[in-house]
Amino acid sequence: MLPSRLPFPFAFILRYLLAVLTIAGTTGLLYLLRNVLGTPLIALFYLLPVGLSTALWGLGSGLTASVCAFLAFNYFFIFPYYTLLVHETQDILVLVVFFVVAVVISQLVGRAQSSLAEAQAREREATHLYELSTALAGLRHKDPIARIMAERLREVFGAHTLEVVIQPALHEISTRYSAPVGVPLPKSTPDHVIPLTTARGLLGEIHLWRTDRPLSPAEERLLRTFASQGALALERALLAQAETRAQVLEESDRLKSALLSSVSHELRTPLATIKAAATSLRSGEVAWDTSARGDLIAAIDDETDHLNRLVGNLLDMSRIEAGALKPQRQWNILAEIVGGVLARMRRVTEQHHLDVEVPEDLPLVPVDYVQMEQVFTNLISNSLKYTPVGTTIRIRVRAQAEVLLVQVSNQGPPVPEEHLDRIFDKFYRVTAADRVTGTGLGLSICKGIIEAHGGRIWAENLPDGFAFIFALPLTWEGAPPRLPAEPENE
Amino acid sequence: MTATSHILVIDDEPQILRALRTILTEKHFRVTTASRGEEGLALAAATPPDLIILDLGLPDMDGIQVCARLREWTQVPILVLSVRDNEHDKVAALDAGADDYLTKPFGIEELLARVRVALRHSAQATGTKVTVIKAGDLVVDLARHVVTRTGAEVKLTATEFKLLAYLAANAGRVLTHQSILTHVWGEAEADHVEYLRVYMRQLRKKLEADPESPQFLLTEPGVGYRFLADE
Repeated sequence: MLPSRLPFPFAFILRYLLAVLTIAGTTGLLYLLRNVLGTPLIALFYLLPVGLSTALWGLGSGLTASVCAFLAFNYFFIFPYYTLLVHETQDILVLVVFFVVAVVISQLVGRAQSSLAEAQAREREATHLYELSTALAGLRHKDPIARIMAERLREVFGAHTLEVVIQPALHEISTRYSAPVGVPLPKSTPDHVIPLTTARGLLGEIHLWRTDRPLSPAEERLLRTFASQGALALERALLAQAETRAQVLEESDRLKSALLSSVSHELRTPLATIKAAATSLRSGEVAWDTSARGDLIAAIDDETDHLNRLVGNLLDMSRIEAGALKPQRQWNILAEIVGGVLARMRRVTEQHHLDVEVPEDLPLVPVDYVQMEQVFTNLISNSLKYTPVGTTIRIRVRAQAEVLLVQVSNQGPPVPEEHLDRIFDKFYRVTAADRVTGTGLGLSICKGIIEAHGGRIWAENLPDGFAFIFALPLTWEGAPPRLPAEPENE
Repeated sequence: MTATSHILVIDDEPQILRALRTILTEKHFRVTTASRGEEGLALAAATPPDLIILDLGLPDMDGIQVCARLREWTQVPILVLSVRDNEHDKVAALDAGADDYLTKPFGIEELLARVRVALRHSAQATGTKVTVIKAGDLVVDLARHVVTRTGAEVKLTATEFKLLAYLAANAGRVLTHQSILTHVWGEAEADHVEYLRVYMRQLRKKLEADPESPQFLLTEPGVGYRFLADE
């Protein structure tokens, strides 16, 4: 093949020149051998450079070679020599046949040649498309799609600069990706603008700057195919995103309705008590004695606290759901937290035995005081709910290497092994919901809080009961607490 | 505290305003109410109250900002109302100059106790200082540096006494971790809550009958500590 880098007119002229030179060379060689070879054989030999010229330099050169060979053959080898005159009828026939054969050969070879080139071009095109669609397959976001498209386009079309612009979705800015990266785009308008369209409408545009040579029809066709591939990938990404959004919405919708039905029931119970007690006290029909008044007022007070705890749990749950539960950690003494919770729960735990052992020499633990109170409150409440009056609730704490292990156990019935993990799920209950009060959120809040602290919580059946166990790290950002020097003595 | 102490309540909930007005009037306080921050600031300037009860969640401006604006010109005691899980705002309000806080929902006894403490402190600020603080069987004599429990002297280290003295001198009021650390250990140690935890445990062991459920040295979850003295 000829160097195609030469500027257009030179390469063109060179091809014809080479064809003429080949015929001249062949003529020289055949002239030397003219005594050995007969006229028909010489004609046959001339077909060789004609075919060669076509194969190497195209149909035009082949036809030029044919004409030159015809003339040279006539001039040098047909009697009378060194003229273009022909005397013998037979020679005229030879010349005509030769010319026809030469032209036919060059055309055949030329056609084969160009269809080979075309086939090769199509194969390249197919390869490029295959590579593009492989690269785009599985992409679910428009940014990587824009990037891959820009890279492939630049490689295939050799553009100086190009840009893939993707239309913004609602409340977004448009995605732009240019290649090569870091090179500012030309100020001029792009040489080619190809829209990325699908049935949904315009999704984006490809901007291409390539001034040195125009796009060939094949390139233009390939570019359009690239654009439609890109548009399809974008549409796929959009559909996938819409589907994910729909799933998330559906899930949160399901959660909300579960929450609502659970909560409205839970909220009504204390409200009913408060309403009944308050209206009783207001009504002038009954003269309440002092102790009855006291009971009614205590009921209002207790149920208000109950409502407050419910609302607190709901808020915690929504924070955990939204990933907004950020522990405000401080170095704390666990015994202090447990002590505070037990003091506040004294009234509700009256009918159970509490057996609490928190060693004196426990290291400080980096936790959010208020959230840890919530964990203990929920675990104790849960134990109270599922165990009969008069049984024991045990709290044990120990430090083990860099972990603090806390166990809250009760003498409740065992939970089937397959439910042990699931009791920390939202709204999950082992017992039928109408037999036990509660939103079904307490344990999942514990799980959320413990995990936000980098810890772990699980449940175990004990030989004589049931236990919640959680582990908390004793280091904060990898370090133990910085304790003051040994207390000074006076 | 005079029988007709004037209390300004700034809260945007009409029900809370109604309840507080009824209860506080019943307890012989003179009550003014405001439902917005700007209105509250204007009222406080027009007829200076003896105490301000301020809700942190106001519609027009941040309660913490109201605290800071008030502190630009008045030392009137400020009692802030906040909700659970908002320890950060409570601490910020205390740092901005509030004297105490209450978590909603609260019992009325608790509110009245805080009101009394705040009024007493503002009275003391202008009058003579109390130097002997009593809490149950515990007596802290700030002037003589002596602490006795059921009459017997309790040996405290210098740091322990400094810590107890600061809490006792502010008896009834909540003190933030940071303010205690700064006062006892200095500015540089203001973030080392672990110091405070260790020393509070020691103090409780020496002074409380049951260190696990303290009666005088109370923890304010996520905020700080409070020394509860006899009234």
